[in-house]
Amino acid sequence: MENNDEYLIKEHLGGNQDAFRLLIDRYAPSVYNFSVRFVGLDYGKDIVQDVFVKVWKNIKKFDINRASFKTWILTITRNTVIDYLRKKKSVTFSSLDSDEEPFTDSIEDDVILPDEALIKLEDKELLNNLLNKLPAHYKEVLVLYYQEDMTFNEIGQLLNKPLNTVKSYHHRALKKLKEMIAPKL
Amino acid sequence: MEQNLQKVFKNAMYLPGGRLSGDVFSLIEYKSSHITKWKRFGYLSLSVLSLSGSVLSIKILIEQATRLGFFKYLSLAFSDSGVIALYWKEYVLSLADSLPIASLVVSLFLLFILFISIRRASRQFKSKLSII
Repeated sequence: MENNDEYLIKEHLGGNQDAFRLLIDRYAPSVYNFSVRFVGLDYGKDIVQDVFVKVWKNIKKFDINRASFKTWILTITRNTVIDYLRKKKSVTFSSLDSDEEPFTDSIEDDVILPDEALIKLEDKELLNNLLNKLPAHYKEVLVLYYQEDMTFNEIGQLLNKPLNTVKSYHHRALKKLKEMIAPKL
Repeated sequence: MEQNLQKVFKNAMYLPGGRLSGDVFSLIEYKSSHITKWKRFGYLSLSVLSLSGSVLSIKILIEQATRLGFFKYLSLAFSDSGVIALYWKEYVLSLADSLPIASLVVSLFLLFILFISIRRASRQFKSKLSII
């Protein structure tokens, strides 16, 4: 049986309840992981529930020609997280919409993380702590790129930022990560 | 480096507990049944209201049509078709003149609402996990 997102959405709109359940099973881990990164473990589940209720209510408006389902659902997640942080009046929220200028010069790959750094980062807790210390817009680019396997283009669509900005966020995020890990080496 | 980083990052993913998907689905089912219940109630009430409105407006329509002589003109078409064929223009004008337009429009509108609300209500009874 064909099982891609588009097919499942069509099935759901046609009244097949199992199709929506499959979509939840498929995307709940990504939505949860992204949410927890910004709101913490205690509220991650609430955000996931809010996100899927929004998806269920608005799935008719989803247009496959504009973005992939994953980009759409993670955009909803990001907006839900921002709303949540806004309600909580959290400082982190402001950095999600950073006006930081992208690099105007070409991005050289001068942030290659040495093997020792990579070995250090294999410590799950250390990596999560370092990620939490990064500015929110850097963190989200790294999470979306390395954990959610999204392309820079997709991330740009999601964040509503030009491709170069996303690339420079990625570059600066790695640079910052390298700086943070250096004293530990 | 990229592949290694991917591996390292994936290893550090926060994963939800086994019940998360089930809980989300249960919440959506609950919300869906709640909305369906309200929609059913709304459409059924609208059906009852539009049904009584239709009955009343059709009664008024028949009364006005009788008073204005619409049925008399109409019966002419069956009893004296020769005269009608001769003076068909005058006949059509008289027939149109005796038609209670306002009552007719109201009755048709209420019948339309009745039809739509019955259709929507039956759809709500059929669907379990409805899409808003």
